[in-house]
Amino acid sequence: MNSIKIVVASGKGGVGKSMLASTLAMLFSLKRSIVAIDADVDAPNLSLWLGGIKKWDKIKRISVSEKAVAIKKKCPDCQKCIDICQFGALSLKNNQLKINPFLCEGCGACQEVCPPGTIKMRKVTNGEIMVKNNIFGFPLISAQLYPGQTSSGKIVDEIKKQAQDFKSQVAIIDSPAGTSCPVISAINGADFAILITEPTPAGFTDLKRVLKIVDHFKIPWALVVNKWNMNIPQSRLIISWADTHFLGKISYDQKIFKAIANFRPILKTNLLVKREINQIFIKLLKKLPPVNKKLL
Amino acid sequence: MLNQKLSSKPVKKIFAKFPVLDKIKCHRCGLCAEKCRFNAIFAPKDKYPIFLHQLCANCGLCWNLCPFNAIKVKKKIIGQVFANKINDNFYLITGQTVGIVDETGPVVRQTRRYALKLAQELKTNKVIIDTAPGTHCNVINALLGADESLAVTEPTPLGAHDLKLILALCKKLKIPAKIVLNQSDLGDEKLIPNVHYRIPYSKKISQAYFKGKLNQLNLKKLLLP
Repeated sequence: MNSIKIVVASGKGGVGKSMLASTLAMLFSLKRSIVAIDADVDAPNLSLWLGGIKKWDKIKRISVSEKAVAIKKKCPDCQKCIDICQFGALSLKNNQLKINPFLCEGCGACQEVCPPGTIKMRKVTNGEIMVKNNIFGFPLISAQLYPGQTSSGKIVDEIKKQAQDFKSQVAIIDSPAGTSCPVISAINGADFAILITEPTPAGFTDLKRVLKIVDHFKIPWALVVNKWNMNIPQSRLIISWADTHFLGKISYDQKIFKAIANFRPILKTNLLVKREINQIFIKLLKKLPPVNKKLL
Repeated sequence: MLNQKLSSKPVKKIFAKFPVLDKIKCHRCGLCAEKCRFNAIFAPKDKYPIFLHQLCANCGLCWNLCPFNAIKVKKKIIGQVFANKINDNFYLITGQTVGIVDETGPVVRQTRRYALKLAQELKTNKVIIDTAPGTHCNVINALLGADESLAVTEPTPLGAHDLKLILALCKKLKIPAKIVLNQSDLGDEKLIPNVHYRIPYSKKISQAYFKGKLNQLNLKKLLLP
């Protein structure tokens, strides 16, 4: 059985993705089997919104790419490897080849042209995958890209693949901010996208940028406006722009700050935001495509 | 945030190279698909290869390697750089991807390069680079070569967690970092050690931010005691 994959994305950071994703996951889990996926592998925060995790059930290091390493101390002055590298990662000084690991994309082009085998491709450990089998009654799968490593998109692909093992009815995917590789990987293959924004000029611009990716994959979507009361005219503008895609709004509340500082999930508070996300959840169930609804 | 509109004309266009097949020369050997490490070339047996530009890292391995010279290089626009002059002492350089771009690192790298060149020409005192969130290639490309970094965070477990990661990255890149604590009086400051600068919550700043009018505030008065 395939689960219904719902991705929460925003473009701009700090607009409430993880707050919404964590609360929706808890609401879904009341009546359905779900798995929560934290696709923000650069800075995974979903576990913190779910009360924090002291000990993961499983932590596994993963390698999804390689990097070029110079293995010989001296190298003939042929320059071929330097010329082929599109990332400017290689340099030659006094016949000594230097490869900048932060610029190397691991494509292997230098190794292919290097005649005497001066360069070797070595597997790198890009990060680790963390699994908690039961948090508020459902599993959470997360990952951490090691700082300085690349290939976060491939790590996202990997955790999405592993999440299928739980055979849940619903998968909630918390996307990172921005529009680059891990975001594309998080959104690709989703059945439904919940976009969240805030009523600021930057929030609106970034929303439209992430929508381009959602539209590219032809994924149906709905919009949540967070902190809507902080700039009501701008909120109205965004809501009328979203038209039938508008799903709901969330008020700004400084107490959310206190709740998260105390590791208290939104659903365990009595804040207005809890009721507002509940409303969003009810509307969301109605909005899901009919094919998906049948599976619930 | 600076209440600037990007001009319709970029000062620079950023291109990346993509492979295109020359069917006449191609022998359908499948070598390109076999060697590509990004799964960006799909070659069913004895059929012509298909290039998936969205997965392509623009590394050039395939067109350099093809024994029959059957892969041509096509330049495609992946980003644009915009320049705004805010006043005689203040320029804003903005990099933006065009279309759906997997590898945003090159766009950041080229934008930074343009800004540094301009700064040298104008003899500016400082270049401030605003990075994306996270720690992957676009952030690394923004940080590389910086003299100092400011790590901005907030007094919550989320802030503390992400701060640790960006500090680890700065350390790896050998860039000294100073911690700036935003909304320092909300949440719990004990979570964040070694704070260099504090920005307390301010209704004025918050309101101006939501209206996109931060530039109209007297920030000097609000931030410096």
